[in-house]
Amino acid sequence: MSECVLETRAVTRAYDCGRIQALRGVDLRVSKGEFLSISGPSGSGKSTLMQLLGGLDAPTSGEVLYRGVRLSGTADLDSYRGQKVGFVFQAFHLLPTLRAVENVQIPMFESNLSCRQRREKAEALLGELGLSARFHQYPNELSAGERQRVAIARSLANDPEILLADEPTGNLDTENSDNVMSILAEIQAKRGMTLIVVTHDDRIAHSAHRNIHIRDGRISTET
Amino acid sequence: MSLFDVALRNFFRRRLRAILTVCGVAAGIAAFVALVGFSRSFENQWMRVYEDSGTDLVVIQRTFLNTSIDESNVNTIRALPEVERAVPVILNMMDITPDTNALVYGWRADSFDMDSLTIVQGRRYVEGAPEVMLGELLAETLGKSAGDVLEIQGAPFKVAGVFRGGSALETGAMLMPIRQLQNLADLGDKVTAFHVRLRPQKAGETAEQHLAKSREAIERVLPGLKAVPANDLAANNQLVVLARSSAWGTSLIALFISAIGIANTMAMSVLERTKEIGVLRALGWRRWRIMRLILGESAILGLCGGVLGLVAGIAALRILAALPATAHIIPSAIPLTEGMAAIVISVFIGIAAGFAPAWRGARLSPVEALRHE
Repeated sequence: MSECVLETRAVTRAYDCGRIQALRGVDLRVSKGEFLSISGPSGSGKSTLMQLLGGLDAPTSGEVLYRGVRLSGTADLDSYRGQKVGFVFQAFHLLPTLRAVENVQIPMFESNLSCRQRREKAEALLGELGLSARFHQYPNELSAGERQRVAIARSLANDPEILLADEPTGNLDTENSDNVMSILAEIQAKRGMTLIVVTHDDRIAHSAHRNIHIRDGRISTET
Repeated sequence: MSLFDVALRNFFRRRLRAILTVCGVAAGIAAFVALVGFSRSFENQWMRVYEDSGTDLVVIQRTFLNTSIDESNVNTIRALPEVERAVPVILNMMDITPDTNALVYGWRADSFDMDSLTIVQGRRYVEGAPEVMLGELLAETLGKSAGDVLEIQGAPFKVAGVFRGGSALETGAMLMPIRQLQNLADLGDKVTAFHVRLRPQKAGETAEQHLAKSREAIERVLPGLKAVPANDLAANNQLVVLARSSAWGTSLIALFISAIGIANTMAMSVLERTKEIGVLRALGWRRWRIMRLILGESAILGLCGGVLGLVAGIAALRILAALPATAHIIPSAIPLTEGMAAIVISVFIGIAAGFAPAWRGARLSPVEALRHE
């Protein structure tokens, strides 16, 4: 049996004093090096599940475990988010006042790297993603595809074990979507990372090792 | 790239708002520099009055500095072995003309206080004669020179001389024989204080011990009076204390308003950047780092305001120091320590004012911050 890195046990998440049930008892195991896609209609709870897996939010009941350790209450969530997990967002979320190479350095502030080491690593990551000529551009000077590639470089800054991508192609055209997904898949394969992608796109869902479909806060199908 | 660089970029993000906030802080710091500079100068002028004349101790009433001490007590003081010289002094404010109010000193013609003055016109007055001496500034204000007659409260006084003093308080003052002032102000034989010059201390005795011993000796023979070191008296003079209190009070109000400006700017900034803070938290930034970032930005606001305010305050002092009416009392420069204090205060205000917004920002839940629109 492959090594389990992330697990949810009977996880629920309610909002608005229980009036909104985003998740209703989700059990999930994610293996090391797995490419998992999470699909489902809007409001089904897939982004909520992603937030719980990424340590951004805590479940109302149930448990989220990273390598068998409960995230909520016991683990250092800042450290977990900074060191173990990399996030890629649909809206990129680059800081507008910082250049591409500076945006990539942001997660490394919590590491022990010097300013110079951070810069060198950021440049190497951007180079790896084909952005060597765009180090000094501000986000508003980059195309949408380039911005997402900067965001991917940023997510890799601390060499995380798990990459969480929430609708990473949601703001991109088909060509850029394909490009971004091939980059993510390549990174996952090359680094042996665990990649979890939330998506509406059936093509991405089918390209994953495994896909879970969420409906009304529950896993409805798993393929 | 350091955290400071990130803070600096955020500082320049909303330039107009940042500039206006910096101007608000600068106004507060400029007020602090100018007012505190003025009060310090005023205190220094008082100190120079005593320093230049070589007064070691000033003997005054134990309760209030008023003209109610018997002049004859001077003989008791002079009889003490520690005392080299002692002279009676009257200090009064007087309307010399309907438009001109000035400090008036009643000194004996042979007082050692006279030795520190430079006579620029005429001569010293003669003891007991209806004569006065005018400080240079006052003579200019009154349009009088040596040999002129000045009518004070209906009585004619000859201007025996015009002098230059080490202190602006003397330069803007009038001297008259103590007896004349007692008669003019109906004071009988009362005086305000005695200026005492001590003999040199004995071998093996420190200056402090000598001063303390002399004070004890004077207060023992004159129990109703107290002997105060001249420097202490200058620093604790009621007018000096009033000037210092007013300067600090006004400055603190101005600085408080500046702090509110920074707090408002930083609160707005944190609110506008809620989503960004959520991103930083999602990327692993700890609360403490978020706080440091926001506090860094508010400290930069304070620092910029402090530097600008310091420059503006020094400029204001220079302008005042160049004006004839205020040239003698206003310093054209400020000590380095005061300039540094202004900068430290401005940075402290920045940090203090940024604390609440920083705390709020640091406490944001990452997921709620990311959802913020």
